Amino acid sequence: MSWELIRDILITTVPLLVIFPSLFAFTTWIERKALARIQNRIGPNKTGVPCTRISLFGLGQPAADGIKMLFKEDIVPKGADRLFHLLAPIVALIPAMLVLCFLPLEFPWAKFVQAPVQAFLLDGAVIFFFAITGLNTLAVFMAGWASRNKYSLLGGMRAIAQMVSYEIPLVLSAVIVVMLVGSLNAADIAAAQKGYQWHLFTPWGLAAFVIFFIAALAETNRSPFDLPEAESELIAGYFTEYSGFKFALFFLGEYIAMFAISGLAVTLFLGAGEGPGVAAVPALSVAWFIAKIFALIGIMIWLRGTLPRLRVDQLMAFAWKFLLPLSILNILIAGFAWHVAKSGAGTGLKAVVWIASLITLYAVARGLNRISRPEAAPREYKYAE
Amino acid sequence: MSLLGGGIVKGMAVTLRNFVGSYFNKERLVTNDYAWRPKEDAELPQSAGQYPKEEGEQLSDTTTVTNYSRNFPMLLHDGKEGDTPMDTVRCVACQICERECPPQCIYIEKMYDENGKYIKSPAKFDIDVSVCMSCQICVEVCPFDAIVMNSQFELSTPDRFGGLLLRRDDLLKSNDYYHQIHPGEAAARDQRMADEKAAKEAKKKAAAEAAKKKAAEKAKAEAEAKAKEAEAAQAEGAEEKSEPEGGDSKEATE
Amino acid sequence: MTQETAFYLLAIIAVLAAVTAVRLRNLIHGVFALVIFFAALAGLFLLLMAQFIAAVQVLVYIGAVGILLLFAIMLTERVTGDDGRRITSRGGFWGATAALGVAVFVLLPGIQQTDLNRLPAELAEANATAADANATMAPPHTVEALGKRLIEPYIITLEVVALLLTAALIGAVAVSQGARRVEDEEEASP
Ligand code: SF4
Ligand code: SF4
Repeated sequence: MSWELIRDILITTVPLLVIFPSLFAFTTWIERKALARIQNRIGPNKTGVPCTRISLFGLGQPAADGIKMLFKEDIVPKGADRLFHLLAPIVALIPAMLVLCFLPLEFPWAKFVQAPVQAFLLDGAVIFFFAITGLNTLAVFMAGWASRNKYSLLGGMRAIAQMVSYEIPLVLSAVIVVMLVGSLNAADIAAAQKGYQWHLFTPWGLAAFVIFFIAALAETNRSPFDLPEAESELIAGYFTEYSGFKFALFFLGEYIAMFAISGLAVTLFLGAGEGPGVAAVPALSVAWFIAKIFALIGIMIWLRGTLPRLRVDQLMAFAWKFLLPLSILNILIAGFAWHVAKSGAGTGLKAVVWIASLITLYAVARGLNRISRPEAAPREYKYAE
Repeated sequence: MSLLGGGIVKGMAVTLRNFVGSYFNKERLVTNDYAWRPKEDAELPQSAGQYPKEEGEQLSDTTTVTNYSRNFPMLLHDGKEGDTPMDTVRCVACQICERECPPQCIYIEKMYDENGKYIKSPAKFDIDVSVCMSCQICVEVCPFDAIVMNSQFELSTPDRFGGLLLRRDDLLKSNDYYHQIHPGEAAARDQRMADEKAAKEAKKKAAAEAAKKKAAEKAKAEAEAKAKEAEAAQAEGAEEKSEPEGGDSKEATE
Repeated sequence: MTQETAFYLLAIIAVLAAVTAVRLRNLIHGVFALVIFFAALAGLFLLLMAQFIAAVQVLVYIGAVGILLLFAIMLTERVTGDDGRRITSRGGFWGATAALGVAVFVLLPGIQQTDLNRLPAELAEANATAADANATMAPPHTVEALGKRLIEPYIITLEVVALLLTAALIGAVAVSQGARRVEDEEEASP
């Protein structure tokens, strides 16, 4: 292995390994602040520069949390599978970190790299992304099973059922973009949206984006789909038995997965790094990319502050009876529209297709919503009256 | 016909209003300034403020914590602040709270005198505040208003087992102290206790009166019966036996 | 050099993981050993520059088959996966003999006949043409080629396979539904 190759690998990967974990710390702070404000509280506002009384709006909180986590006792339950208990957080973090390489982040220093080692140039970047994020399920199951705790195991089982179900609409809505662009390559997908031709701005793209976003919420266990780690039902589910740094790793993995999947959403639907000023200063594209990721994460936090948790039957019905048929219909519509556009149709016909597909999608979504809802029968008590 | 997903949008609008509002309307910040409190509480300390205002500051005077804080239970006695007189303690060691406490963090032993007679006060009353979840159920179930919530929060200790186990003497607080920390609640409770007592007394009185009346009536009836018996005896020659029977039945209905 | 090292490393991991998967008492450990085996296989595919196949290997075998196995274990066995029974305790001798026979009589001649030098040469050629086109060392476009093959000459095969899988899916649903209906009737009859 040549010295240049090692250098190139370092240049392309180290920024990812530095930027995203530090963004993670910042995001936890944002999340706590935003949730606090939504609930009319103040949120962390004390911790700042250590040994002084400068509080900096509580920005020191993530660092303090990190230090606290490091020094906490690492408890492994009696009867737990020690090896798997140790491996689970690592297995959770690695795929999350790995998929970051598939995001088309065009760092300015990539120019100096001779052989482009960025994974997003891979031919099948999108499919690799899904393949590797799928590994997260294994980690969750490992954690749940290895803890030898009922709640953990229940959380793990819920997580598997949820992730497997929501992966289908997630992939199917990404398929639309792959179909329209004709490539699985993240760089190609980004290039195809140049000139503000974002996929978000088409009816089928919008529908796909909404489906993708909802499924992404479920994939990353964010509320309202946080059943696997429901504090009030399963006392944090699969990481009930985790403390100290292992817990921190889980936490980190979860947030990195959020970044990764938001990054994929940005790549597929929101024009990747495109934004005002990028033509003049190419380095801005990374900033735009991250800003868009943060916009999506902001919406996730906002939703977390708004929506209550779903019930398990609602969760499954929503995935299989609403999202899945809708995304299949959406693929048909997108294919049809693509053919119309390709046959060189005039603007009038295109407009008709647009409006027709919008109306169809909305009407079908309404209909599905009506029939897919689990009936809210009054609860039957077995023992109490 | 509501819009699809309209409910979510509406909910998000509510949270957005809270989010933005909390930056402009200080009264929203319920945990900060207690600006939302009713006017009549204005003379109370306005807030705990920012806890360690100065370096090394201690807020051991819980009265600064406001009227609205409830932490862990304490036991009331009717003596003076500071001393722990067991003869004025309200608790009778009935163990209702011990049985009702959801996490079972109360431990009570009854007190017996040297003859082994139960003397209606607790020999031991421990609350493990590391287990207590501040649910106030003990307060609600106590029939003697003996246990109420304290607002003492500076309980940190280097000893995580013994230090967080509050003993009977730690828990004993005077009613005056209760009035100090939760004036409204304490006054209401005293009022209620007084009312209950008054009602009880009234009832007792009424019962006593009723008993008196009854006794009087009975006496009267007996007297009547006697008179009638006498009459009957006088009218023995007439052989009328129905009247004393009637008098008997009247007594029986009463 | 590095490729060879990587190959041997992955091969050893794959073989060890496969043996462990079969030998372990604890079923869940066995599944995870199998997952490691799948991952090593995906790595081998990557070494052969078959990215798409590698991705599909991860997606289908680890993401779907592995999870399915876990689900099956959780739903059928005791959830701990560790009930002391061993499925592979019998016939170990004959199994090993059969495996050895396959290895000696089938695999070895195949390996001998393969010209191992041919592959790297072809890859180098592909890389050279790609380098001409892009002036960088872009990986060859395997996904596109694969897609074209699947849609153009093998479209009928693809459709037949899809139909078969759909039929299997519907069959599975029908079987489970039927079982449930019988159960319902049994419940209803007494
Ligand atoms: S505190 Fe109240 S309920 Fe508890 S033992 Fe004493 S009198 Fe009974
Ligand atoms: S407040 Fe609740 S938990 Fe605490 S001692 Fe009372 S009943 Fe028990």
